[in-house]
Amino acid sequence: MAENGQLVYLYCVVDSEPTIKQVEDSENNLYSICHNGLYAVVREVEQQEFGEEGLKKNMADFEWVKTKAGLHERIIEQVMSNISVIPFKFSTLFNTDESLKAMLEQYGQEFKAILRRLAHKQEWGLKIYCNLEKLKGSFLSNQEKILEIEDEIKSSSVGKGYFLKKKKDQLIERMLNDKINECSQENFELLKELSFEARINRLLPKEVTEREDDMVLNSAFLVDRDEVDDFQNMVDTLKVHYESKGFFIDCTGPWPPYNFCGLSNRKGQNE
Amino acid sequence: MNSVVVKSKEVTLLEILDRVLDKGVVISGDMVISVADVDLIYLGLKVLLSSVETIEKLRGSPFVGPM
Repeated sequence: MAENGQLVYLYCVVDSEPTIKQVEDSENNLYSICHNGLYAVVREVEQQEFGEEGLKKNMADFEWVKTKAGLHERIIEQVMSNISVIPFKFSTLFNTDESLKAMLEQYGQEFKAILRRLAHKQEWGLKIYCNLEKLKGSFLSNQEKILEIEDEIKSSSVGKGYFLKKKKDQLIERMLNDKINECSQENFELLKELSFEARINRLLPKEVTEREDDMVLNSAFLVDRDEVDDFQNMVDTLKVHYESKGFFIDCTGPWPPYNFCGLSNRKGQNE
Repeated sequence: MNSVVVKSKEVTLLEILDRVLDKGVVISGDMVISVADVDLIYLGLKVLLSSVETIEKLRGSPFVGPM
């Protein structure tokens, strides 16, 4: 029960009694709140740290966010090792256990339906990155159209050559786009076939990924536990096919089903 | 069947932030505070988080802190 100066931080909701093992750095104060057959895994946090003002300040502190986001993930992963979970967004806070119970009362039926849908399934993430230069190199050398234009440039005046070069660049750009779309689509469609649900998320810019190559697909899949082997074999097959062409396929999981817990028609799920 | 469910240890911070800060259930209701949409932005050499509009008071009675 949260006392004065404390808030209740909600990590996830499950529908059978969770085994609460304390997670390193969690200050050993994880507990669960039960209401109508649902269990909320929570922890008391300081109002000073997570209250409106403190949170605003702390969200600008990358080290703080890094630590707390990692903790958020570890706590949910610990719970989901043997049951399905509904993961909540970072820093979902309540004033008291009672206010959290009121929320469980309000959303109880929806949560139960979501948990039934998620039973026996895992979220897997697939991000594809593309090294444009390598991709260019992998197909350009044998493109007749490009070779033709290059020949033409050699025998053209400076002015005509300029326009031909522009035409060539546009053609290359179009080809690159086609190749990237082809790769993203094929990966997504084939893996979707092996999934219960799939979604495409927004691409993250290089400034965020801190990678040299460009993200060309950011996707998530909800996979039946029994299909995970097939799913991974497919990823391996796709890697063999695409990684020599300048693509890097990064598959991670199992994740808490962050992408597949949307509440119907409510603000909350991005995109 | 569980042989493949061991998570690769190479999962990056990016993967965690991309989910924990951006996805997951958001509920609205009385007496709740929550982090609003967070944009990952780039500042200097580090990914920092926009602190603008970090918090939204969701619908319901105004948040009254127990302070």
